[in-house]
Amino acid sequence: MLELLQTLIQRPNFVVFVILFLWGIYIMAAHPNFVKKLIGLYIVQISAIFFLVAFSAKQGATVPVIMEGAAAVEPLIYANPLPHVLTVTAIVVQVATLGVSLALVAGIYRKFGTLDEDKVMEQLK
Amino acid sequence: MNSHLPILIFLVPFFVGVSMPILTAKRPSLCPDITLAAVIVMFLLAIANLYMVQTEGPIEYALGGWTAPIGIAWLNDSIAAIVVLTVTVVALLTLIYGRVIVSADLAKSVPYYTLILIMISGLVGLVFAADLFNVFVFLEVAALSGYALVGAGGGKAQVYAFRYLLLGSFGATLYLLGLGHLYVVTGTLNMADLALRLPELMTSTAVVGGLIYIFLGLSIKMALIPLHSWLPDAYTNAPSAVTPLLASTVTKVALVAWVRIEYSLIAPNVEVSHVPVLVLLEELGVIAALIGGALALIQTDLKRMFAYGGISHIGLILIGVSLGNDTGFVGGMFYLINDAVMQAALFMIAGAILYYHKARTLDDIRGVGLHTSPWLTGALIVVAVAMVGLPPTGGFFGKWNIILGALEAEHYFAVFAVIASTLLTFGYFLKVFAAWFHQTEFVEAKSIKISSGLRVSLGAISILMIALGLMSDSVVQILLESVNNGGI
Repeated sequence: MLELLQTLIQRPNFVVFVILFLWGIYIMAAHPNFVKKLIGLYIVQISAIFFLVAFSAKQGATVPVIMEGAAAVEPLIYANPLPHVLTVTAIVVQVATLGVSLALVAGIYRKFGTLDEDKVMEQLK
Repeated sequence: MNSHLPILIFLVPFFVGVSMPILTAKRPSLCPDITLAAVIVMFLLAIANLYMVQTEGPIEYALGGWTAPIGIAWLNDSIAAIVVLTVTVVALLTLIYGRVIVSADLAKSVPYYTLILIMISGLVGLVFAADLFNVFVFLEVAALSGYALVGAGGGKAQVYAFRYLLLGSFGATLYLLGLGHLYVVTGTLNMADLALRLPELMTSTAVVGGLIYIFLGLSIKMALIPLHSWLPDAYTNAPSAVTPLLASTVTKVALVAWVRIEYSLIAPNVEVSHVPVLVLLEELGVIAALIGGALALIQTDLKRMFAYGGISHIGLILIGVSLGNDTGFVGGMFYLINDAVMQAALFMIAGAILYYHKARTLDDIRGVGLHTSPWLTGALIVVAVAMVGLPPTGGFFGKWNIILGALEAEHYFAVFAVIASTLLTFGYFLKVFAAWFHQTEFVEAKSIKISSGLRVSLGAISILMIALGLMSDSVVQILLESVNNGGI
């Protein structure tokens, strides 16, 4: 138990990721409101991005641009650019998802006059 | 020029799709023609690409001239070339079909055609991608246009499209997480690179966790039971004009992405805490094949029944590729190509019945006297023969190779599952035939003039199913060579 606690305290980023992830899933599953479901989905996606950012963070690192005429390349002082590129792309994908999902929600609201999933399902029956 | 074929196949639909609003600003009625022309160009390029891969061997295409570990690589091998050709053929036939079976407001909608083209380009990219992150991006490009296309049905379809979106995006997020885990451990996302570094790391919980995330994410996309719940509702309510394309390609191409990952990253006989991974995947396939078939049997809605049939076939393909030997793998891949064609044919028939006769369920079909329509009946018989898996259709040779592979691996339960799912398929086609040919009372058969576009698409897809069977030897040979050359 103590060891588990110790590992958790040593990895605060990971704990935050897990909490965000589970919180998002809970909102997605528990709320009947479509917009709230979307918020839940967004939290899950943010948690994945938080995970990518958390493991790539490096204290005191600089941008990975090698100056012309620099003598030797010291890999230790540069941040790894790849996870950041992944993050930016993943955010773009999320924005696109948000756009499509909001369009669908707007369409549902225009058609059924409600955003409550239970009421929509009743009308569908 | 030749070596740039993969990117050309991707860029043609992408650019035409994006510039569709400009191209048709003056004459919106040109949309279907431009879309069709773009897909015909793709089809010709895909044939040239397959020919090139056959003569010059597989090539790794480096995007922008940056070669693999640093740059992004696309792998253009026989399997990718064949799957891309299948996607373009199915897209072509669906577009010809969609010119006839389309609701009036969709036919005039410019975004609808843009979405179709962008989805096709996403699927092509997904097949070629040899980099985990690239797979994620194309997965989302294809899926986002897929959600919008399902939602284009309006009303009810929007609700199910939204559910599809929630589950699909959640699956994509799981995939992203898994990819992050693998990157943390290995420092690379290139599949060939990962294949070199992973085998010794299989004991790491991060690697195993990452692979599980990736598998869960992709199983939502490929609708593997029990993560299939979005599929029947979405495909039942999606617009008939585009359902053949959605049903035949989206889930199959996600499966192709998983097959690439599985084949390159998970060696046969690998065990994680005494669980043989491939056997586990195979059993998941067995469950999907059996439950999917059983669920199809109890449906009364034609489209829903076919959707569950597709879910059961995903299981069959997963059995084939997870047997750990070449025969089963080739059988699975060959069945995947067949299944793409068969699903397209099934949803074309169901969509045509819905369009002409407003018949959705088996009871409706009983009341309209469909047996007087030679084109629909002929196509249904061919597709039934192919789905059940009788020679000379391609379905037989796929199942045959899967069974041979299972016997070779001595997994008799998998053999049983393939045969049992065949019987279940036979069962639900019996139901369809009973409704199709036996009327409860005499009904005046409504004579419908089936237009030439529908005849072309139904005829071509029926011929294609038989042709795949007749050419099965050469296709299987191509796949086998590709596997033996260490391809995929």
